[in-house]
Amino acid sequence: MKTIEEIFNLLKEKFGDAIIELVSNRPVESFIVIAPLEIDKVCLFLRDNEELSFDNLMILSGVDDANGKNVPDEDGGTKIEGGTVSVYYHLESTKFRNKIALKVSALRENPEVNSVESVWRHADWHEREAYDMIGIKFLNHPDLRRILMPYDWEAGYPLRKDYKNPEFYQGMKVPY
Amino acid sequence: MGLLDKQFATDSIVVTKVDDLLNWARLSSLWQMGFGLACCAIEMMATSASHYDFDRFGVIPRPSPRQSDVIIISGTVTLKMALRIKRLYEQMPDPKYVISMGSCSNCGGPYWEHGYHVLKGVDRVIPVDVYVPGCPPRPEALLEGLLKLQEKIRNESLVKKSA
Amino acid sequence: MTYDFFFNLTGSYVWADIIQSLLPLFIFILPFALFAVWLERKVSAHMQDRLGPMRVGKHGWLQTVADIIKLIQKEDIVAENNDKPLFNLAPVLVFVGTYAAFAAIPFSSAYIGSNIDLGVFFIVAVSSFVVAGILMAGWSSNNKYSLLGAMRSAAQIISYEIPTVLVIITIVMITGTLNLGTLSEMQTGHFWNWMIFGGPTFGLTKILLIPFMILAFGIIYTSTLAEVNRTPFDIPEAESELVSGYHTEYSGMKFAMFFLAEYANMFAVSAIVAALFFGGYQSPVGYLGNLFNIPWLVPVEQLFWFTAKGLFFVFVQMWLRWTLPRLRVDQLMQVCWKYLIPLAFVNLIVVGLLTLL
Repeated sequence: MKTIEEIFNLLKEKFGDAIIELVSNRPVESFIVIAPLEIDKVCLFLRDNEELSFDNLMILSGVDDANGKNVPDEDGGTKIEGGTVSVYYHLESTKFRNKIALKVSALRENPEVNSVESVWRHADWHEREAYDMIGIKFLNHPDLRRILMPYDWEAGYPLRKDYKNPEFYQGMKVPY
Repeated sequence: MGLLDKQFATDSIVVTKVDDLLNWARLSSLWQMGFGLACCAIEMMATSASHYDFDRFGVIPRPSPRQSDVIIISGTVTLKMALRIKRLYEQMPDPKYVISMGSCSNCGGPYWEHGYHVLKGVDRVIPVDVYVPGCPPRPEALLEGLLKLQEKIRNESLVKKSA
Repeated sequence: MTYDFFFNLTGSYVWADIIQSLLPLFIFILPFALFAVWLERKVSAHMQDRLGPMRVGKHGWLQTVADIIKLIQKEDIVAENNDKPLFNLAPVLVFVGTYAAFAAIPFSSAYIGSNIDLGVFFIVAVSSFVVAGILMAGWSSNNKYSLLGAMRSAAQIISYEIPTVLVIITIVMITGTLNLGTLSEMQTGHFWNWMIFGGPTFGLTKILLIPFMILAFGIIYTSTLAEVNRTPFDIPEAESELVSGYHTEYSGMKFAMFFLAEYANMFAVSAIVAALFFGGYQSPVGYLGNLFNIPWLVPVEQLFWFTAKGLFFVFVQMWLRWTLPRLRVDQLMQVCWKYLIPLAFVNLIVVGLLTLL
């Protein structure tokens, strides 16, 4: 069973610059920050390595960090410019009963993260949800389309902090 | 109904009795297409089950919209589902009625303020006859809604234009 | 007897024929279908510990009347992509196929719609019209669930006709006649002369035949259950499987035709089973008319006994519907081809050998 520091050192040796840092000064569990375009290689290593064997992706969730600048919008609301959006991965090893967390950050304007669907098949729907709600595009995903909102929803990504409801959707009035 | 309109301007006894018979037939055998979407569906099923029986009033659940008179929208109506509800409503043959059961289909329910995916009230897509409030409404409340619908049908008429 | 009565009344063969054949339809079958719908709802309700229709007339007896009047008022929808001639013709075929079978059923010794020598053969042949009707309904609905339901139903009906016919041949071997009137006359006397207890002639053959007759009754009851699409064989119209199957797209009066035809069909097969095995219209205990020497009472009593037996089997069909779970379509076909047909063949051969005794 490896602790997160040992895993961090192991990954740093193998992947070098793709592993950015280990954050452990928060009240939550520690997590490893990884570069967005290398995440699938790191996850493949984490799954296939004999001593680590993280064979279960428990959850993958997109988060809007809202750490940009608030600028006033044309309708009187505020928009956020700059800043990042993140994806958190929680992995589990059923063989060693071990869990770790990973984080990936991308720029808010056009977030692109490599898809881990080739590593764990069920990341398919989790990534579709992150795309639908936050707007993160996953590269090399076989079928990236909306999963919770209607398929032709034009009005943005609902779980972003600066999301506003549209007036009408296909003839139905949306706000209360 | 144009010719009948002009002939029976007041309620003559002949048309009244036929009206009564046809209305009685319609209200005594309201075949429902229970459209159970969320938690209210459980209460609707409880109403059809043995303690509070729906079948006493002649209401049987039919699977197909083409064979049902009343559609009971029970549960949260999302925007995605609203288009399908509209299509099903249009597939039902006339005369048809709609009972909106529960807060979510009356007015959006607990999702009225922040629900980005919820249609705030099913009456934004289909015309509703009876609203049954509650979250979820008890089976007695749904039965009262059914009785109010029966009252509404009882007062309909062949020649007078309905509202 | 009734034929002569009408002939004397109207003075022409044609009119007497017409009235005599339409008589069972309007006096017996349509009211029976209305009654059967109510009975089904009450039986299913009481079996599920609830009450069934209670408000519409005392204990709900007017419920079916209300249902029919409501169905007449409904809009008749024919969708644009449906094949209109087929769509409109299908309920008519199903209705005709089931109601025409009543022509050869012996209601009582005074009244058989048409006492043809081919009785049983005619009934089986005419009730196969419903297969064509169902296929037309499924195809013209332009709906993949309807098509699937219709295909399954057609496969089911034509497969289960085989055990039915095999058992009918068994009975015909013993009695030597296809005419249902003659068959019912042969089972006269008391209930030990019924076919299920071996037939009218007393002897070793009769005793030996009893277990095979009971087996034959089991086979024919099961396969006629499948012919009328009742549970446990109701895959074609099961809700959770196929959204109401081949009558999904029908509304209003056309749906009422399918609906009533199903209940009439149930009675027709119950009547055939009763006529073949349980003595048709014969009473199990003798006639009051004979006891009190009132000769015209006997046919009336026979009608009563016939109705009672038919109703009992219909009740058993409804009881089975609300007790048993449904068979999957491959299990259904398996039961027919792997179990019922070999059993029916073996039964046929053994009974044939026994009749040589």
